[in-house]
Amino acid sequence: MTVKVRFFARFRELLGTDILVEKKSGTTVAALVKEIAEKKKEGYNAIFDEKGNFHEFVIVMRNGKRLEPAETTTVKVTDGDEIAVFPPVAGG
Amino acid sequence: MLSERELDRYKRQILLFGEEGQEKLKKAKIFIAGAGGLGSPISIYLAVAGIGTITIVDMDVVERTNLNRQILHYDRDIGKKKTVSAEEKLREINPDITIKAIDTMIDETNVARLVGSSSGIVDAMDNFPTRYLLNETAVKKKIPLFHGAIRGLYGQATTIIPGVTPCLKCIFPKAPPKEVFPVVGVTPGFIGMVQATEVIKYLIRDGRLLTGRLFIWDGLEAHAEEICVERDPKCPVCGGSHTPARRSVKAPVKAPVRKKK
Repeated sequence: MTVKVRFFARFRELLGTDILVEKKSGTTVAALVKEIAEKKKEGYNAIFDEKGNFHEFVIVMRNGKRLEPAETTTVKVTDGDEIAVFPPVAGG
Repeated sequence: MLSERELDRYKRQILLFGEEGQEKLKKAKIFIAGAGGLGSPISIYLAVAGIGTITIVDMDVVERTNLNRQILHYDRDIGKKKTVSAEEKLREINPDITIKAIDTMIDETNVARLVGSSSGIVDAMDNFPTRYLLNETAVKKKIPLFHGAIRGLYGQATTIIPGVTPCLKCIFPKAPPKEVFPVVGVTPGFIGMVQATEVIKYLIRDGRLLTGRLFIWDGLEAHAEEICVERDPKCPVCGGSHTPARRSVKAPVKAPVRKKK
């Protein structure tokens, strides 16, 4: 099955975007994003904390629907899913 | 009633929303939190549009490093209080409106008093702790909050109507880390214009507000996106005991009608 991962803003700068991944079923959202992010240390550190969890401010969406931090490690991706990972900004 | 001068000054936008719309802007009281990167373009454009009363709050002094984006302040203003500089410019820009510039730090002891009975709160802050305070006040007083934030060439904006849309805490339960953020003036200019447009639309009751939607701007890609945002029933600020506020919101808010995919 194919899943698309979209990174926004700084995450996109670090990791690229619209990444198509071929996956066997059973992969969780967190595992999928982690696998892509691991290719670049800076990108990984921007998204995940030292325990390997999403930084608590990171917004993760699956098919336009927000996932709770806990859900990212339980919800499994399915064919055609689009996962979006977005860093809110704080400046003004 | 609009004076001859006002009819003249606003002639081109009266073509757009009529004298009635202009009267609505004149009657409005808008509270702008911050006279920096976002607060500068927002206050300038709301002033020229003829918002009757603009309150702008800031505690800082103009520094040289502000000048690449904070277009209310000029080189000659370095060392001056931002409120003094802002008031001076906004009065010159439009002498037909009332400007109240308040030199203070917004905190939990004064936020409710400062906001008073404003028609809308504009978030032009540079930090989330103060944004959360504005959000709590907006929810308590049922006053719309026009959110915007930027970093580098990226920005985000959304319009919060308490009781109808998610509040800031529903959308961003946790604040992004504090930092000295990189920024080029065009980004707060762009996002500030999204916020100011929302304020005007809200006041004249026209168009479809940026409600239930988070607008995301990527200046590097010249690409805009929006993501749907939903209320968090467990939100510590607006969830739980909250009563639907449709009745108490003055504008005929078009709540986002979205088709589920």
